[in-house]
Amino acid sequence: MLEIKNLTKVYGDGTVALHNVSFDVEPGEFLIIIGLSGSGKSTLLRCINRLIDPTEGQIIWDGVDITAADPQQLRTIRRQIGMVFQHFNLVKRSPVLTNVLSGRLGYVNPWSSVLHRFPPSDRKMAMAALERVGITDQAYKRADELSGGQQQRVGIARALMQQPKMILADEPVASLDPVLAHSILNHLENLNQEEKITVLCSLHYLDLIQRYATRVIGLRGGEIVYRGDRKAIRSMTDEEFKEIYGEEAERVSVGPHDGGVSL
Amino acid sequence: MTMRRTQKEIPPSFVSAPVAGVASLIVPGLGQALARQLWRGLLLLASLATSIGLFLWRVGDLAPHEVGLVAKYLKAFDRRELFVGLFTLGIVILWLGIAWDAYKQVKTDHKGGAGVFFIVLALLFALGWQVGEIDLYKMITEIPDAWGPIQRIAWPWEAAIDRDIEMIVAGAEILSPCDELPPPAAPVEMPDEPYVVADPTCGDLTTREGVTEIPGTQITLIGRNFAPNTETPIYWADPLGNEFRLRSEGAYLSVMTDENGAFEITITMPYRLIPPSSEGRQIHIVEARQIASVGGAHASTELMQCIEGIVESIIMGMMATLFGIVFSIPISFLAARNLMSGSTVTMAVYYATRMVLNIIRSIEPLIWVLVAVMVVGLGPFAGILALTVHSIAALAKLYSESIESIDPGPIEAIHATGATRLQTIMFAVVPQMIPPFVSFSIYRWDINVRMSTVIGLVGGGGIGLVLIQYIRLLDYRSAGIAVWFIAITVAILDYVSAEIRQRFV
Ligand SMILES: Nc1ncnc2c1ncn2[C@@H]1O[C@H](COP(=O)(O)OP(=O)(O)OP(=O)(O)O)[C@@H](O)[C@H]1O
Ligand SMILES: [Mg+2]
Repeated sequence: MLEIKNLTKVYGDGTVALHNVSFDVEPGEFLIIIGLSGSGKSTLLRCINRLIDPTEGQIIWDGVDITAADPQQLRTIRRQIGMVFQHFNLVKRSPVLTNVLSGRLGYVNPWSSVLHRFPPSDRKMAMAALERVGITDQAYKRADELSGGQQQRVGIARALMQQPKMILADEPVASLDPVLAHSILNHLENLNQEEKITVLCSLHYLDLIQRYATRVIGLRGGEIVYRGDRKAIRSMTDEEFKEIYGEEAERVSVGPHDGGVSL
Repeated sequence: MTMRRTQKEIPPSFVSAPVAGVASLIVPGLGQALARQLWRGLLLLASLATSIGLFLWRVGDLAPHEVGLVAKYLKAFDRRELFVGLFTLGIVILWLGIAWDAYKQVKTDHKGGAGVFFIVLALLFALGWQVGEIDLYKMITEIPDAWGPIQRIAWPWEAAIDRDIEMIVAGAEILSPCDELPPPAAPVEMPDEPYVVADPTCGDLTTREGVTEIPGTQITLIGRNFAPNTETPIYWADPLGNEFRLRSEGAYLSVMTDENGAFEITITMPYRLIPPSSEGRQIHIVEARQIASVGGAHASTELMQCIEGIVESIIMGMMATLFGIVFSIPISFLAARNLMSGSTVTMAVYYATRMVLNIIRSIEPLIWVLVAVMVVGLGPFAGILALTVHSIAALAKLYSESIESIDPGPIEAIHATGATRLQTIMFAVVPQMIPPFVSFSIYRWDINVRMSTVIGLVGGGGIGLVLIQYIRLLDYRSAGIAVWFIAITVAILDYVSAEIRQRFV
């Protein structure tokens, strides 16, 4: 469903964040991207929905080249791709419900929605999305009154409102407590398995990667240095992991039972 | 690994400690400079020079007529021996202190030595006391004299109510000064109407020469056909329209009529209020006024003036805030770094805008009023203009800072949902902007109304103008009403603006 061909991103200051990256994403995958800080994970994910314009290469989404899409096409493509962020990126002072409804903006009439007017069906859908992530009771609170874990669930609910075929998650659990990490990733896994939403997620913890990934891509200095399927990941050793991450990686205890490797 | 604070290597002194001390004794600060403490030396030299300079200025002020420094100094010492003596001692101590400091600098490895700066501080404090003409004794002892006006300002409400009164009034014309032409004639005596006859009908007003008072001509007033057995105050009106009650040795002058409604009293012509340069025959009027009857109470003219004034002030503040908001919004975009960091040109615009805003803001609204009055004349418009100018600068700065501190995360997130640019602005930018925007606007409204009550003092209209007029007329009661109105308005505003802002932040 998504083909990335020879993707290169050079920032204005000359930083080469991605260099000749190519891979395909199959429907229903839970693809995890790993790599050291600065290896280009965020850049890659943002190129896919063109929050960042790639320098070279192509991104083919259902046969359409995103890099060449006109604004109208881009809008239709973007609304099929939900995005979840490390720092949640909620509008802090707006109510939770408004934050969730804003996931609908790609579908509704651009003019009437400007005044925060949404059809009743969308409101129902928003409550359903909140129910799905288990925080219906928080709907009318201001977003910044919620805990970190709850805020990320609002972020997921917002992405759900797009009825996405794919969710891009940029380190969705990096600013959360390790225990909460499982809860958030569980939600993503449910969506992946039940709704058949493809997930493209960047992550740092080996135990989380082993638990959730159906496939892994390792980035280093903007290039792909590792590709592994489910089986390869399960048998991945700390040594292999360190090879992708470099020697600085060290063992950190995550969660109640497993140990993991982290930065 | 922990960081270790490294001791800065200090180069050794050029000279030995006693040499440094003596050097500073001859040229203050030289010793420190020789001890490789150039800045310390310069600072101490500057402190000493400043102290001496300011001191000599005060000495000159105390003895303006003497010629030569020594004569001035001796005269000043004569007048303020405590201050001059102690200060001279202080300077000597500072001088010696600097020498001692230079010695210590070499002796003790540049350590310590804040003591000498305390001497500087003490000297400056003593000077400040003198220059500021601080006089606690006067402050305490003169309270009784000010007590009357203070009381009237503190509780002015008697002036808020007027009663309809019917007066019996009759007066006589007085010429001042006398000239060759015949003085004004006595009024025609009528059998039933009240009248006053003055004798003489011309004379000189009281004047002052230096500190001695030259009393005016004495005039005998005879009144007839007034209400019997009634207190009758005597009023004086000059050709300019100044009207006041006559006084005699501080007390208001009044006379009791007899059972026939007649009186006789001798008055002294009052101070001249009109400039001596005014020419021509000046006819003053002396009047006897009796209160015949007292009617119902109603709001006094002064109260109404104060109400009008405070309403005008509040409206001035609101208009200025409104204009300020409207104009500062577009300007704030130009002054927001994150919006303007695109190219060198926009950066230049950014710096220019910032600079202009800073300059405008550093000039107080009270001074802007003076400028505005030159342009549009006295009145509320001048006040609105002045407040608007200052508000634009202040608000543009605050708004631009809130634009700068906007969180780009939500913008990215909303954009990623497929939202249009306008939708992104409405959902991600506006919600972030509204709270600081409302908060700053209310805060400015608060300041503007507050300021609008005082800018009238320098011609900006509103309650301030009313207040300063009463103060000039020494009408402390009416001034008191204005002061109360200002205080009440500001207190209410304080509360309201805090409430509103709390809701939004
Ligand atoms: N806007 C930008 N301008 C210039 N260079 C950038 C910009 N954004 C990122 N970079 C650089 O591009 C490289 C890749 O950054 P990116 O944020 O994609 O890394 P990342 O893998 O997401 O890292 P992290 O794990 O810390 O989030 C880094 O060297 C970074 O400094
Ligand atoms: Mg990143």
